[in-house]
Amino acid sequence: MLFAATNIPYPSWLNPADNTWQLVAATLVGLMSLPGLAVLYGGLVRKKWIVNTMLMVFAGFSLTLIVWMLWGYNLAFGPQSHFGPTGSFWSGFIGHFTPLSTAGAEQGQAVSGANTLIPFHYSTASLAYFQFVFAAITPLLFLGGLVGRLKFKAWLLIVPLWITMIYCVNAALLWGGGFFAQKGAVDYSGGYVIHLSAGVAAFVGAAILGPRRWQDRENAFPSNLMMVAVGAGILWLGWNGFNGGDPFYAGADAASAVLNTNVATAVGVIVWLLMDMLFTKQKKPTFLGAINGMLCGLVAITPSAGWVNGTGAIIVGLVASSVVWVAWNHLSKVRPFSKVDDALGVVYTHGIAGLIGGLLVGLLADPGMVQYGVAGAHYKGPGSFSVGGWFFTHSFHQLWEQFLAACWIIGYTAIGTTVVFYIVKFVVGGLRESDEALRIGDIAIHEEEAFPEPTFGEPVGTPSHLHPDNI
Amino acid sequence: MKLVTAVVKPFKLDEVKFAVKEVGITGMTVMQARGFGHTGGHIEIYRGKEYEFDFVDKIRVEIVCTDELVDQVIDAIVGAARTDTVGDGMAWVTDIEHVVRIRTDERGPAAL
Repeated sequence: MLFAATNIPYPSWLNPADNTWQLVAATLVGLMSLPGLAVLYGGLVRKKWIVNTMLMVFAGFSLTLIVWMLWGYNLAFGPQSHFGPTGSFWSGFIGHFTPLSTAGAEQGQAVSGANTLIPFHYSTASLAYFQFVFAAITPLLFLGGLVGRLKFKAWLLIVPLWITMIYCVNAALLWGGGFFAQKGAVDYSGGYVIHLSAGVAAFVGAAILGPRRWQDRENAFPSNLMMVAVGAGILWLGWNGFNGGDPFYAGADAASAVLNTNVATAVGVIVWLLMDMLFTKQKKPTFLGAINGMLCGLVAITPSAGWVNGTGAIIVGLVASSVVWVAWNHLSKVRPFSKVDDALGVVYTHGIAGLIGGLLVGLLADPGMVQYGVAGAHYKGPGSFSVGGWFFTHSFHQLWEQFLAACWIIGYTAIGTTVVFYIVKFVVGGLRESDEALRIGDIAIHEEEAFPEPTFGEPVGTPSHLHPDNI
Repeated sequence: MKLVTAVVKPFKLDEVKFAVKEVGITGMTVMQARGFGHTGGHIEIYRGKEYEFDFVDKIRVEIVCTDELVDQVIDAIVGAARTDTVGDGMAWVTDIEHVVRIRTDERGPAAL
C-alpha cells in the first residue's frame, strides 16, 4: 500500500481515467475503419471489387498513420506557424512540419492550440493516436465515391497528399486553434472537418475520375448484406468513441455525447425506414435504407454531440435523415448530382448530413450543456465552456460562424481535391484502371478474389516441396 | 434408354425424389439452376434502385431410365412437382445411345 501511495508510475498531470478513455475511444474509432468500413464497403460493392475495396481501406489507414507520425499531427495540431499577424487568417492556417519522433514528443503532456481552458490529462501519444484515427477515416469515407474504377497506385498517392494538403489544414483551422476556431465556429467531432469534407472530396473526386463502366453501374447490386450489417454495426457503436472521445476528458459531457449520438442515430434509422415505407413506389422497408438513415443520424449529430441536449439530438436525427432521404431520392436526379458517379453516395450521407449537423449547432446548441468546467471554480460557473444556438440565445451569431466555416470547408476541399487529383493523375499517368481490369476486377488487379472458387480435383502433376517424396 | 430432364421449383425436390423412387428409379442427379419461363423474373431494391432479376432459382433433375419406365417417371415428376401456379417448370425426354456403369463396366440397361 505504501508503495502504491508514494510511487505513481506516471507524471502528476496524467489522469489514468482520462488517459484510459482516450485510448479506448481512439481504438473504437480505429475499429470503424478496420474492419468497419472495409466490410461495409466490401459488402456494398459488387463481388468482383471486394478485395480491391478492402485493400484500399487497409492501405489508406496505414498511409495516414505514417504521414501523421512524420508531419501530419504537428501540421494539424502543433503550434501555429503564424505566417501572418496574430489573429489573421494566415496566422492560424497550419502548424509545423515536425515529426513525432522523440521520447519527449510522445510522452510529454499533450497540448493543443484549441484547448487553452484546461491542460490535457494525458500524453501527446494518446492525443496524437486519437486524432490519427479521425484523420485516417476521412479519406476512407470519400473512397466510397471512387470505388470500382480508381487505380490502386493512384490511391497510394492520393491519401498522403490529401491528408497533408486538405485534412491537416481544415483540422488546424477548426480544431487546432486556427482562424475559424478563433472566430468561434465549432465542430464537436468532425461534422465539417471529416464528413462534410469527405462528402465534397468524394463528389469532386468522382467527377474528375469519371463514372464506373456503365455495365457496372447498371448492375451495382451489393455483394453481401450480412457484411454490411457487420460494418454498419461497428460504425454505430464505434461512434461512441468518435463523439464520446471528443471532450478529451472522461467526464459528464463525454457521457452526454454518447447518449445523444445514439438517440439521434436511432431516430435516423426509423425516419428513413418510415419514409421508405410511405413515400417510395414500392413502399418497402429496406435494410440498406435503414443503414443510410443510421449514417445520417451518426454524421449529423457529430458536430453537436455534446452541445445539444436530448431534445436537440432527436431533432438532429429527424432533420438529417429526412432531408438526406429527399436528397438521395430526388436531388440525385438533378444536375450536377445526376452527372457524377459517386459510387456509394458519400456526398449524401456524409456531405449533406455533415452540413446539416454543422448548421444545426447554430440553432440547437444548449448553453446548459457544459463541455468544460473551470479549474478551481464551480463546474458550471463563469468561464466554463459551452455553445449557444439560436433557440437559446436568440442570436444568429453561432449559425453565421457555422455557415462561414461550412463555406470554407466546401470551397477549400473542392479546390484542394481537384489539385491533388490532377497532381496524382499526372504523376501516376491516369487515375483509372485499364478497361480490361475494370471488366475483371479483383483478379486482374490483385490476383486475388474475395471468395476463391474451389477446384474439384486434387493436385497430381509436378509435385512441389510439400509432396512427401520431396521432403 | 431415356434421359428425363426436369426443371422444378426448388422446394419440390424432395417430393420428386420420393415419387420417382416409388416408381423404381435407383439414381438421379440434381443441379442448382436458374432460368426464366412464363413467370418472368422478380424485382429487388438496393439503396433505392430497382434491379430486375430475370432468372429464378430452379432445380434441374436428370434421371436415366429404361424405355418402359419413362412414362411412369414423367407421371411421378408431374404429380410431385405440380403446384398449379406459373413457374412449375417443365420436363423433357431425350434418347440415350449408350450407358456405362464405371465401377463394373456394365453396359446398356444393366448399368442402370
